[in-house]
Amino acid sequence: MLNKKVIFTFSPQNVERPVTYQLIKDYNLWINILQAKFEPSLGGKLVLELKGEDKQIKEGLNFVRQIGVKIELLEQEVIWDEEKCIDCGACISICQTGVLSLDKETFKLKFDYEKCIVCGNCVEACPLQAIKVTF
Amino acid sequence: MTIKRTYEEINAKIKNGKAVIVTAEEIIPILEKEGIEKATERIDVVTTGTFGPMCSSGAILNFGHSDPPIRMQKVWLNDVEAYAGLGAVDVYLGATQLSERQGMEYGGAHVIEDLISGKKIKLKAISQGTDCYPRREIGTYITKESINQAILFNPRNGYQNYNVAVNTSKNKIYTYMGILLPDLGNASYSTSGQLSPLLNDPKFTTIGIGTRIFLGGAQGYIVWEGTQFYPQVIKDKSGKSIHKGGTLAVIGDLKEMSTDYIRAVTFKRYGVTLVVGIGIPIPILNSEIMKSVSVKDEDIWTEIIDYSFPHLKRPSLGKVNYKQLREGNITIQGKDVPVSPLSSYAKAREIAQKLKEEIIKGKFLLQGPIQKFPQKSKFKPLLEIH
Repeated sequence: MLNKKVIFTFSPQNVERPVTYQLIKDYNLWINILQAKFEPSLGGKLVLELKGEDKQIKEGLNFVRQIGVKIELLEQEVIWDEEKCIDCGACISICQTGVLSLDKETFKLKFDYEKCIVCGNCVEACPLQAIKVTF
Repeated sequence: MTIKRTYEEINAKIKNGKAVIVTAEEIIPILEKEGIEKATERIDVVTTGTFGPMCSSGAILNFGHSDPPIRMQKVWLNDVEAYAGLGAVDVYLGATQLSERQGMEYGGAHVIEDLISGKKIKLKAISQGTDCYPRREIGTYITKESINQAILFNPRNGYQNYNVAVNTSKNKIYTYMGILLPDLGNASYSTSGQLSPLLNDPKFTTIGIGTRIFLGGAQGYIVWEGTQFYPQVIKDKSGKSIHKGGTLAVIGDLKEMSTDYIRAVTFKRYGVTLVVGIGIPIPILNSEIMKSVSVKDEDIWTEIIDYSFPHLKRPSLGKVNYKQLREGNITIQGKDVPVSPLSSYAKAREIAQKLKEEIIKGKFLLQGPIQKFPQKSKFKPLLEIH
């Protein structure tokens, strides 16, 4: 079983395709919708957590790609500028999914992308503007 | 209590490369192993550190005179106004002053950081013009190298202890303690606890007017007690004592500082402030001082305060110690609340280490206070008199 977080970007041409339905029915994937933003005339973005067999995830994503939907992995959408970061911790307790923590030994910030749902709470909490979400 | 050594003896040992220096964190296991008396014999200096947002900060700048000269009456640096009601080309640039063009995205603290990093800063000044200073406006660029003085002078830094901030309301609030989620959704605090300078010398025996300190990467001095200095200790029935905010006024040469230890930050919908790195060496003059630097996170208590209450005397929701805070979760009114700091413990540790290394190398000598802080102080509210 694989667990992947992905972002689908739809264009006005493919925005009406029932992609989620097809991934569940045809590829037997377990899907959790983390975020969705749609504007039929402009396209849309969908943040999903996918679980399934390696082969089925691969084939499912191929199908999505073929209909012209852009696919990105979620960690590419959250940019943490470690150079800028001072490891203060202002982003930690505001994160409701427990992505951020201070290392028990070094007290440096740790980022667990697996848990991230790109809510953007940390972006507005960071006093150094060291975290960006491109989604 | 016996005096084990003097400042002169410690400085002589530093110069000979024989002084033994550890940080306020490293001393804790040493004391557990060796005990106070033995450790007092062996160790000369304990270094402390803190790296947190300190709003009452700013810089005194002298630009030099232009030709023809101007008596600057209003001054902007990168569109941030600096107070010019001083001599002709002196200003005080406050850290929290906001840019007139960019608002909260940029402020006095950012100008200070840009000056330290050597960037060019746009200067604009206007004046009525006088017989001796005929010019009425000037627009130019300055750097820290082009101007006469750039002195960081912070009237209130190094808070001894501070509240834990929470929000019991139904709305998210934006504060100087960061973003606080509704219904006790999170909590934030801001001191370096067992590494914090003023918690390691709570009686201000070695910290006073004239004490040499690490300030923003350079050597600076304590020049006075900080504003709102309130060194009282409140003890409750269970014996928990809470130190109530001793503070420091500090000064140092901004030109020698580093952006590793001075940073500008913006708290969303609150404003701009300056994160200041301060380290203070505590000379182990006697066993009494060694006892005070033995302070551990679990001995330091603070109060949980509800920041959603819109009045001065905000309600307390209980007490908590820094060990509990460092664990990342505290219980408030039966609820498990995630908690995180605003002041960087990693950086505080780095500062205490760096100060230790500079003393070991003989680059930093100890200077004790030439005058002690007042023992008592009042914390007065502002009354509205009509």
